[in-house]
Amino acid sequence: MLILSFFCLFVFGPFYDHITMQLIVFIGILGWNALRFSLRETVSLLKFCLPFVFTLFIFGLIFHFTRLFGRQDWLQDTFIKCMVFPSSLIFLKVLLSYITYLDILSLPISMKKRIDLITLKSAFSKGERILRRFSWYLNTYSVLKSGSNIKYTLKKYACLIIALYLYLYEEIDHSNRLLRNRYQHFQETNK
Amino acid sequence: MEIKRGTYRLEARGLVFDLVDDLNLNNGPNCFYFRGGNGFGKTSFLEKIIIPALKTDTVQYVYIGQDIRTQLYTLKALLSVQGIKVSGSDEVELLRLWINHSRSARVFILDEFDKYFADYGFIFDWSAAFIRTYIIVSHLAYHQSEAVAQKYPVCNVRFDLIDFDGHIRNVRITKE
Repeated sequence: MLILSFFCLFVFGPFYDHITMQLIVFIGILGWNALRFSLRETVSLLKFCLPFVFTLFIFGLIFHFTRLFGRQDWLQDTFIKCMVFPSSLIFLKVLLSYITYLDILSLPISMKKRIDLITLKSAFSKGERILRRFSWYLNTYSVLKSGSNIKYTLKKYACLIIALYLYLYEEIDHSNRLLRNRYQHFQETNK
Repeated sequence: MEIKRGTYRLEARGLVFDLVDDLNLNNGPNCFYFRGGNGFGKTSFLEKIIIPALKTDTVQYVYIGQDIRTQLYTLKALLSVQGIKVSGSDEVELLRLWINHSRSARVFILDEFDKYFADYGFIFDWSAAFIRTYIIVSHLAYHQSEAVAQKYPVCNVRFDLIDFDGHIRNVRITKE
């Protein structure tokens, strides 16, 4: 219910266009995360979001300067997206931290949806940890470092996003298949 | 590039190294074998002492970490961003493509690569033309690759645990 309300109000709903409101929500969620975990963890989470926000920002700038589709509000929309994206991600992460795997299992929803939620929760915790390691490896690739600093940062972030996508795609697919197979096996054994 | 003898503290990782001899990593074609038991800080020494020193001296290197399955995701991304087709390539092919595109590297670091490929002579076949120094981290129980023993002067570097107070491991590093 809380998740639905958040997304209906701030992501797809009436407050999406309000920059001040989005800024307050963003700061509020960061504060919530700092209280729930720690300030250090919050900073690390912001670093996790940085490649995605940076990419969003660069695309927003390109769209703004090329006046894509004749729109004049690309810059404002980009700023909003740069806040909405980390807000929604951190909001989901903090909320999911209150919910244990056992809580998910006792939810009055279908087993398929429970398995999807379990996979989502697991992907969140894995993704954050793995991104640091990916970033470390990418820093060792000298081939990325040819060219200017901005080119290097862009290429590194592009690699980070692709690597994370590949990892999560395979991990989610694997975990989801494993859970479904185990559940199916469990049901067949019970019969 | 030289790592001077002395004490190196990585207290955040619970390690203090006593490097007994200077490590000259840029002294002609050479192969350094770092050997020691689990938890003696071989990987930490690589990642926190050797690699930063290589970066400071702007020596280009290729590093294959022991969590190679994780690293492969970054290699797929790196090669894709460079416009190289990687779909359908297995892990050996990915490594070959990457090594082939790292010809400016002079140092090659393999961290417990023998856990995945017992015979890793192919790495030397692909890289010997441009690599001058190999640093190979291996567990004590593993044997040296035949390909290395035949082609390069080998320097064994041994990691020994001197004491452990429950928090910090004091490790002595010596050249054999």
